Amino acid sequence: MKSPLETAACAVNVGILRAASLFVPAGQRMEWRSEWRGELWQARSQTSSRFSWAQECEIAGFCLGAFSDAFCLRRIDRHVSAVQASQSRSLPLRAFSVESAWQCLLFMVALAGASYGLARILPGVRAERSLPEVPVRSGLVLIENANNEDSPPTISSGQFEAWKERKQEFFDGFAFYRVTRERVNVGPVSQGWGVASASSNFFAMMGLPVRFRQTDASTDADLPRVVLSEDVWKREFGADPHVAGSVVRVGLRRATIAGVAPVSPWQLPGKVDAWLIEPDSREAEKGSGYVVAHLTPSGKSKMDAERIRITSYSPHRSPDDLLGIKINSATRGPWDAFLFAVLLAFLALPAITSISFGEESVSLHEVSWARRFFRAAFLVAKIALLLPLLHFASLDISYGFFPFNVNEALYIQLVVTFFGCLFGMSWVLNDQRRRCPVCLRRVAHPARVGQLSRTFLAWNGTEMMCMGGHTLLHVPSLPTSWFGSQRWMFLDPSWKFLFAGPVRD
Amino acid sequence: MPPSRTPDTKLSHTAAMILQAVDAGFIYGFSIMEMTGLPSGTVYPAMRRLERDELIASQWERQSIADAALRPPRKYYKLTAAGRVTLESSRKRYPLLERLIPTEEARQT
Repeated sequence: MKSPLETAACAVNVGILRAASLFVPAGQRMEWRSEWRGELWQARSQTSSRFSWAQECEIAGFCLGAFSDAFCLRRIDRHVSAVQASQSRSLPLRAFSVESAWQCLLFMVALAGASYGLARILPGVRAERSLPEVPVRSGLVLIENANNEDSPPTISSGQFEAWKERKQEFFDGFAFYRVTRERVNVGPVSQGWGVASASSNFFAMMGLPVRFRQTDASTDADLPRVVLSEDVWKREFGADPHVAGSVVRVGLRRATIAGVAPVSPWQLPGKVDAWLIEPDSREAEKGSGYVVAHLTPSGKSKMDAERIRITSYSPHRSPDDLLGIKINSATRGPWDAFLFAVLLAFLALPAITSISFGEESVSLHEVSWARRFFRAAFLVAKIALLLPLLHFASLDISYGFFPFNVNEALYIQLVVTFFGCLFGMSWVLNDQRRRCPVCLRRVAHPARVGQLSRTFLAWNGTEMMCMGGHTLLHVPSLPTSWFGSQRWMFLDPSWKFLFAGPVRD
Repeated sequence: MPPSRTPDTKLSHTAAMILQAVDAGFIYGFSIMEMTGLPSGTVYPAMRRLERDELIASQWERQSIADAALRPPRKYYKLTAAGRVTLESSRKRYPLLERLIPTEEARQT
């Protein structure tokens, strides 16, 4: 009868062997496990029947040796596969080789398809794609004190009320909001949210439709309404489209969720998780906040680029110098971020690779125009496949794995697209340079030619061979004035006997 | 897969020890480990390479024999003809090999 410690030690040993077996080629795994199981039994049978840590460490050490064995088997198997592949590639009937152009394109199509499929499945990406950005209304300005550059809430609710009631020449509407930190209970969970107490006309004046608006009139109409931000809706409610009508507790008050604010490009001051729409009668209770105003045509004509200077006169106070800052409605969605990152990557590409193919031919053979066309079409097809692949992959990564914050997701998408496009294009160009101009297969079997010490006396570099028997590619290891770029040598049919397959041209 | 070593290939001392151990009658992995004192992470990969080079060949023990001994079946190794020739040349290269791991005949004499 084994003690629990012995049983645990045995389980650890078997676990080590099982983990190591994952590195063994699948075809040999079962036999490998059987051999090691026998060897482990042998190792255990040599030990004394009493449990000791030293003994168990020794056996564990023995089991860890299985990893070296597994890696060794894997190397041997890879070597055998490589030899077999190189033998089978030279067979004449194998038209669809591993490095063929069609297989390269199919591989890229499969990757693009997989990233698109993932984008259709991942909830974060689906939510992002199903919610088009809503531009804010034009002619909106955020009014703040001209003396405060870091835009703290400076407009009192009293000022707002006075402006609203007075007839204005330059503005035809005002909305007020004030951001406070409140404890919000969603079910049993209590969290701290940035809650913007907003005037009832806030969304109407911004021109933003509230999504998933509650249509059921049976819910309590007396309760204040809460409009959730996009981030909170995704994070706390799992992007539930039936969220409207639910009741949450904001601070000490109960409130009904009225809908979800649309994704919008504007950035108002204050981190807002939800808007609490207050009845107008309660606004006077508020302290300082932000005021958004809509300009009349005459107000727009007074606008100086992005700003307008405003002087507010009050009956019992000195005039206030205020500034109206235009609320930018330019959209910055995933598609814009993608295009911008692609543009940046194309600009940065020459910094990491040569964009010229810089090819020369050392033989008199001329490649036909049809083959040149197919080669150019192959390059265009690779780029055309790379872009959708990158677009969907960047959406998958940014919105699929970081779906809760739209702005952060946008930055992640920017970075992913930039580096993906940069290194993807680098691969596309390098791959094109290594493709035989005749059959578009990748050249193989690199061989070092020449000596570095004789660089200026004779060429030295790498020679690669088209397995279709069409060309040899010479790449200088050190570009010189007389051998600056790679050169193709076209093989005539007299080379045919060197290749197992016929030379096709 | 053709052997990548010719019979007169020069083996490392470790590989030669393992080959000598197999010839001396230590014909499964753990017994070779015990005899040579080499760790498992050295012995088993070396045996894979020797088998790849067709200097040794492996064979599973019959299940009935293992059942009778109340243990899992073992994988036994034996020298091939090429392995025997290589071992002969290795013994000349490493004269102490036979003293380190004497064969059964040497032990009896």
